[in-house]
Amino acid sequence: MNNLTINYKNIWYPPGGILIWIIICLELLTFGAALIAMVYYGNQEIEQFQNSSLKLNTTYGMLNTLFLLTSGYFMAISVHELKNGTKKKFKKFLLLTILFGGLFLCLKSFEYYEKLSEGIYLGYNTFFTFYWMLTLFHVIHVLVGIVILTSVYFGIKKEHSNTKIEDVEAGAAFWHMCDLIWMMLFPVIYLLF
Amino acid sequence: MKKTATITWVILMALTMVSALVSKLENSYALLIILLLSAFKFYGIAFQFMEMKKAHPFWKISLGLFTALFFVLIIVFNVRSI
Repeated sequence: MNNLTINYKNIWYPPGGILIWIIICLELLTFGAALIAMVYYGNQEIEQFQNSSLKLNTTYGMLNTLFLLTSGYFMAISVHELKNGTKKKFKKFLLLTILFGGLFLCLKSFEYYEKLSEGIYLGYNTFFTFYWMLTLFHVIHVLVGIVILTSVYFGIKKEHSNTKIEDVEAGAAFWHMCDLIWMMLFPVIYLLF
Repeated sequence: MKKTATITWVILMALTMVSALVSKLENSYALLIILLLSAFKFYGIAFQFMEMKKAHPFWKISLGLFTALFFVLIIVFNVRSI
């Protein structure tokens, strides 16, 4: 594995690389704008948003936050281990990262199943339209993140791996982006109204 | 780095639980506390886990401004409904 020393102070090389950071900026702006729009509509239809918000289970939201934070923690540790040259530990922590990402998806699926059983679909009302659109887009990002991390895992596992530290960092940055988006979604969707 | 990441993780977990508890309070400051805690968690992930603390000031300032602007706008729009 190519283990170069990266100069993060270079404006063109934030941790993970400039390309992934262009994606992160666009994603944060998109989700941010959508959430601000949600709060704006919440201001127009106060009662509906408050009643709809009561239909959400805050405990699920909190548990999902804990899963993502733990996953992000293991991701940070695994990158650290790889930089130290301990490939075995890197793989172990990366698997734990994927596991907690999987737990997030399991709980989210259960939550979706409950909502669908109650007849709460995409067009149920304005609040739930935002809920489904925003959380589903986030779930898609988590799924893509798991695919990227799995590919990194098998790339590093090879005897003569050509996976560079920059590739691993870019994958890690994408995974942390899912955490960042959730940190914006969780308070607004589950706690605010 | 490992120790810092572990401390950050413990703090983030604690803040998440505090946010959930605060949301149950019938207090007009609850909203402000929840959003401040969320902003703090956002910074924790970005600067510690993503290692943005090592990045060029441009990235640090941009991320800081974005987060501040986002949470301020959420407060502004929501305060009007209280």
